Amino acid sequence: MLIAEITGNIASAFGLLGAALGVGLIGFKAAEAVGRNPAASGKVLVQAIIGMALAEGLGILALFLA
Amino acid sequence: MSRVTKLLSIFVAYILGSSLLLAEGVAPSAAKLVEIGGFTITNSMVTGWIISLLLVTLVLWLIGKPSVVPSKGQAVIESLMEGLRGILEPIIGKKAFPAAFPLLVTFFIFILFHNWMGLLPGVGTIGNGVVDAEGHFHLTQPWIRPHNADFNGTIALALISFGAWAIIVFKYVGPKMILWDLFGNKADKKETPGWLYPFLSIVFLVVGLIEVFSILIRPFTLSVRLFGNVFGGENLLHGTSFIPVFYFMELLVGVIQAFVFTLLTAVYIGLLANHEGGDHAHDEEHGHAAEAHH
Repeated sequence: MLIAEITGNIASAFGLLGAALGVGLIGFKAAEAVGRNPAASGKVLVQAIIGMALAEGLGILALFLA
Repeated sequence: MSRVTKLLSIFVAYILGSSLLLAEGVAPSAAKLVEIGGFTITNSMVTGWIISLLLVTLVLWLIGKPSVVPSKGQAVIESLMEGLRGILEPIIGKKAFPAAFPLLVTFFIFILFHNWMGLLPGVGTIGNGVVDAEGHFHLTQPWIRPHNADFNGTIALALISFGAWAIIVFKYVGPKMILWDLFGNKADKKETPGWLYPFLSIVFLVVGLIEVFSILIRPFTLSVRLFGNVFGGENLLHGTSFIPVFYFMELLVGVIQAFVFTLLTAVYIGLLANHEGGDHAHDEEHGHAAEAHH
């Protein structure tokens, strides 16, 4: 008896899920860091952008190669 | 009519009008335009050339004759360069910065303009096509396609970035320093027990191999990241019949992806070339050398 079924491009879906979660976590921590130390906003932004780029890149890889 | 109703009616008319275009996706590979003796020229290549020419002309026209008291156009370019310099110099360090900066500014402006040009009307919608049985027009060979929406375009950019990284790093850091940075045992010999030190050497060796693999993968991730974002954005726009909300998102994505490409190139150079942050052993070395000179 089939209770639930999942179809479609599952491989890409999992890859992108991981990427989205990663980017969100980086944003969360970046916002918290700026809240603690507003003067460091520029430097935190640079770090956050780099981290988000690396995390998102693998998700894009999953989207187009899986 | 109030302003809200006016805006709403424009919006509705726009959506109705654009739904006449059948919402289709974009083909992943660029359409070939001309074949010259076995060498194909695709629409993205031609677009890339034309936009690059326009970009060079625009910048040269903006600057005019560079003078100490800047004209308005020169001031725009100068403020852009100052902004980029403020962000990139702490990352790369003073030694390699003069060599790397022209490359990075070029990357930023090039990628930014080529990302944004994909939002102009006519991109991907003007071209040759076929009319199917129902009388709808299907576009099979668009004439204009953004340079970065073609995987070949972004691979070219990523390879240039990687080649420049290799040249700059080998020139300003030296092969010996690079090998030490990658594979060298960074444990403090005075503080680790004698039996542990050789084991740590093996650990650092393996870590170095993993690092080499991740370095080799960099051109691939750089190119796929840029291609995925720009091509995905173009696909999204064409597939949802050009809703204005996605236009704003694509503007933002264009800036961010240009910035990210430039930043990552700078970071990769700075990882090896930037000694200001903190190689304490080297700071001590430089300190002793400075004392010796005095």
